[in-house]
Amino acid sequence: MNFNLGLIPLLPFLGAAVLMLFGRRWTRDTVFIVAALAIGAACVVSVDAFFFQLPDAGGAGLQDVVTTWIATGDLHIDLAFRMDALSGVMCLVITFVGFLIHVFAAGYMADDPDYARFFAYLNLFCGAMLVLVLGDSLPVMFIGWEGVGLCSYLLIGFWYSSTANADAGRKAFITNRIGDLGFLLGMFLLFNYTGTLSIPDISGAASPGGPLMAPLWLGQPVAFWAALFLFVGATGKSAQIPLYVWLPDAMAGPTPVSALIHAATMVTAGVYMIARMHAVYLLVPSVMAIVAIVGALTALFAAMIGFAQNDFKKVLAYSTVSQLGFMFVGVGTANFTGGIFHLVTHAFFKAGLFLCAGSVMHAMSGSGDITIMGGLRKKLPWTHAVFAACWLAICGIVPFSGFFSKDNIIAGAFGTEIYGHDMAWVGKLVGVMLLLAALGTAFYMSRLYFLVFSGDETRAPDKIKHHIHESPSIMVVPLVVLAIGATVIGFIGLPGGLFNHPDANLLAHHLEAADIHEVEVSHGLEWGMMAVSLAVAAVGILLAMVFYRGGYKEPARAFAAKFPGFVRLVHDKFRVDEAYDFLFIRPIKWFSRGLYNFVDRIIVDKILVEGTGVLVDLCARLARAVQGGDGQRYMAVFAVGVALLVHFASQPTLPFTKLKVTQTGRGVEVDARRGKNAPTRPLEYAFDFGDGRPVVKGGAPEQRHDYDRPGNYTIRVTITDSGWRTEDTFKEKVEVP
Amino acid sequence: MPTDHYLILSFALFLIGTAGVLLRRNALIVLMGIELQLNGGNLALLAFSRQLNDQKGHVFAFLIIALAAAEAAVGLAILVGLFRSRQTINLDEATLMKR
Amino acid sequence: MNPVNAAAAGTSASPGDTVLFAILAAWVVGFALLTITRRNPVTAVMSLVATFFGLAAIYASLSAHFLAVLQVLVYAGAIMVLFIFVVMILNREEVAPLALRPMRLLGVFGTAYLLWVFANVVGVNTGTEKVPTALPESYGTVKEIGAILFTQFLYPFEAISLLLLVAIVGGVVVSRSHQKEVAAMRAAEYRKQVHELAEHDYPGEGPPAAAAGGGHH
Repeated sequence: MNFNLGLIPLLPFLGAAVLMLFGRRWTRDTVFIVAALAIGAACVVSVDAFFFQLPDAGGAGLQDVVTTWIATGDLHIDLAFRMDALSGVMCLVITFVGFLIHVFAAGYMADDPDYARFFAYLNLFCGAMLVLVLGDSLPVMFIGWEGVGLCSYLLIGFWYSSTANADAGRKAFITNRIGDLGFLLGMFLLFNYTGTLSIPDISGAASPGGPLMAPLWLGQPVAFWAALFLFVGATGKSAQIPLYVWLPDAMAGPTPVSALIHAATMVTAGVYMIARMHAVYLLVPSVMAIVAIVGALTALFAAMIGFAQNDFKKVLAYSTVSQLGFMFVGVGTANFTGGIFHLVTHAFFKAGLFLCAGSVMHAMSGSGDITIMGGLRKKLPWTHAVFAACWLAICGIVPFSGFFSKDNIIAGAFGTEIYGHDMAWVGKLVGVMLLLAALGTAFYMSRLYFLVFSGDETRAPDKIKHHIHESPSIMVVPLVVLAIGATVIGFIGLPGGLFNHPDANLLAHHLEAADIHEVEVSHGLEWGMMAVSLAVAAVGILLAMVFYRGGYKEPARAFAAKFPGFVRLVHDKFRVDEAYDFLFIRPIKWFSRGLYNFVDRIIVDKILVEGTGVLVDLCARLARAVQGGDGQRYMAVFAVGVALLVHFASQPTLPFTKLKVTQTGRGVEVDARRGKNAPTRPLEYAFDFGDGRPVVKGGAPEQRHDYDRPGNYTIRVTITDSGWRTEDTFKEKVEVP
Repeated sequence: MPTDHYLILSFALFLIGTAGVLLRRNALIVLMGIELQLNGGNLALLAFSRQLNDQKGHVFAFLIIALAAAEAAVGLAILVGLFRSRQTINLDEATLMKR
Repeated sequence: MNPVNAAAAGTSASPGDTVLFAILAAWVVGFALLTITRRNPVTAVMSLVATFFGLAAIYASLSAHFLAVLQVLVYAGAIMVLFIFVVMILNREEVAPLALRPMRLLGVFGTAYLLWVFANVVGVNTGTEKVPTALPESYGTVKEIGAILFTQFLYPFEAISLLLLVAIVGGVVVSRSHQKEVAAMRAAEYRKQVHELAEHDYPGEGPPAAAAGGGHH
């Protein structure tokens, strides 16, 4: 079924290309229209594909083969796209949220001189992300994977004149790259054992008795290692432990970038990838356990760091890391639908939160320091309303979307049966960790809310206070749309177990078509978890209220006074970056410096470059000996040359030739030829075999001889040139048994 | 006298002439070395001519003597010209290249 | 013993012949060595003349009578005189006669090696005697040589005369003095100008009387 899926990533790519070539000469409005049109058109095509074409297409979904990309030997990869329910959902989210963010950025970046470049990169990013989700084979997905990494680097370091921004961009790219190595290794393993890189084919080959279950290293099957390596790639891209360190630094980029890339889309690529490769993951529950545990740990860890951050965007960044942990728990407990559900709701409310951050920072003349904020709910009413909606969503208060998705995951963690009987504790442990993380989420998000919006007065100095104003409507409208989304989108995933109505879960229903399942949770467990998560969220909000409502209240100050060291540690993000610097970056720098000094300076510069010069100089001196500008020297050289010529021409044999002696028992065959060509003058050969027999003379270069007695003999062959009257003698020792 | 003796003598003359050509700085002596070389050749020619009873060798030697005369004349003229322009007949100084 | 009557062919050399040859060879080699090693060019030229005389004697012992005479007349007589003229003009002594530089010595040794190879090729063997063939009475005479020269070797003969002509012209051209020529041209120019002026001032009179002109100087 050849629907033009290729159009969906193509349109933003075209937009990016056009903007990169001509954008600088156009007006801001033209640039924005081109960019928004590109992504808007992609959104329209996605909607059309998902709602009108896909239902008729069946399980495999729509496919669009653009061209054959690599066809050598066993390897055959097409540049092909496939949309099934899973990638369709992703496309919708990417294009829709992307479009809203484009609109917001038009207002946010209105004063920036590099307007056109920004939108070009933004379009490029959307195109790459769409390639990632629509890719039908792992290499095509990898193109998108790398593409979003590149765009992330370009956009984080957008204001590259500041070294800090450039460093943040580089850190993001390098950390991503480390993960990408894992992705590549996983890809190689899968190809090696299934012979194909097409995702449907790999999923087809992923059966309990299939090639992927062959044992590989440490007694584990191929699928174990492939899934593990792919997960390493996911930790890089989706900022899990241990490769999450780039995400907080990435806040150096413009806020729309943070909203789009680091909240809604790029960071979710890892979750998407695991959901895509679910067939492989389901073969190895041990890896899924690892995924879930890492996700839960990350969720908890990041939530803790969020307690003591004073920068608006940093809080949100750690919140993203934490929520991504939730998603990974979802896919790790085989609750793929839950993970994707949370991905969708998170896209809306996190993008909304980030854009509110942008709005607030815009009002606060660019500052994101929450210690000087407060009381903004009166001054920024719209922003406040949107933020409140998204805040309640992320805390998990009914009926906002976050409640449903978070609850889905936590209930799924408790109720999952994927680990079997021995490892059932993993699900429970993970569930408990997530509940704690949810508590933390509610706490730090409410802290953020109260510190920024509650209270009556703003703690900022006067010159900032006077400029506080609500954002223009071009920025407010997308905010409102996102807030609406954050509120209502939860209803697409109403849990089936709630009212014993299995088909109530719209999302799950759709995803079933793509073989994405969720965990069946019993009625009782479902209600129970809902109650527990609501309670946990309420506790978190109350705690934050006590500590921070209206500003830094007494309990907060008392805590900070009592445990100053702990507070500082948390504020310094548990010094993980410092640890990495000490453990990895310093040794690498030391090694590189050593390499530079030794290889570059000595080997390349001294030996190769200077050495070549010295060699040339030597050759020149040698040549100069021959030419002196002095007639008599020329004559001398001439004489020497002629002498050498005559010498070598008059010898019967070439220099460095040897006799060829083949020995067979007592017999010996001697070959005194001097090469393949026959000699130009008649030569005479005299063979003396050293055993007292008379010398054999003649014109034949080969002689056979049999020895009577064993012993050591020396064979002497004398070759005479009768014309030049020169002769050569060869000696060869031979041992006769 | 056997031919070989005359041959060796002619080789010796030629060698001495070559040594004079290569090893002397004075251009005049160099030209004299050339004359020695030519005479060496002449001697070899005449020796072989006697051995083979062929007069052509004599003719050849005659032509060589005429040639040597021409060559000496021109060579000395060049030498005079060299002296005029450089005020020296030292061949080491008759080069344009840097030492 | 008389080399002229070497019609006694097929015989090996008599001891007298050997002694004569030895003396002459030593004479030739000795004076040749003197030639190339003397500091004073005049001495060198004289040594070369002596070498040529010795060589003439050797030629005579080879029954090459005409060439022996030619050697004395042309070589020692004409060419060496030319050398002496130039030596007289350019008599300079050298600081150190021989320039024993490595490359040049190599050249000399190379030449020696070459000669040794040739010696091998030709089969020079100082031990055994090569028997010279019988020589006719007219061997080495002017008549015989002339006969070959003007019949078989006519072209080379004419060519060599042409070569001598070229050499003469070349010699004159090369050794012209540029300065003298320029001076001569200037003088001619001057005389021409004077003549024109004279024509201008006193047209048609012609040059003044020789006595009056001669009396001035």
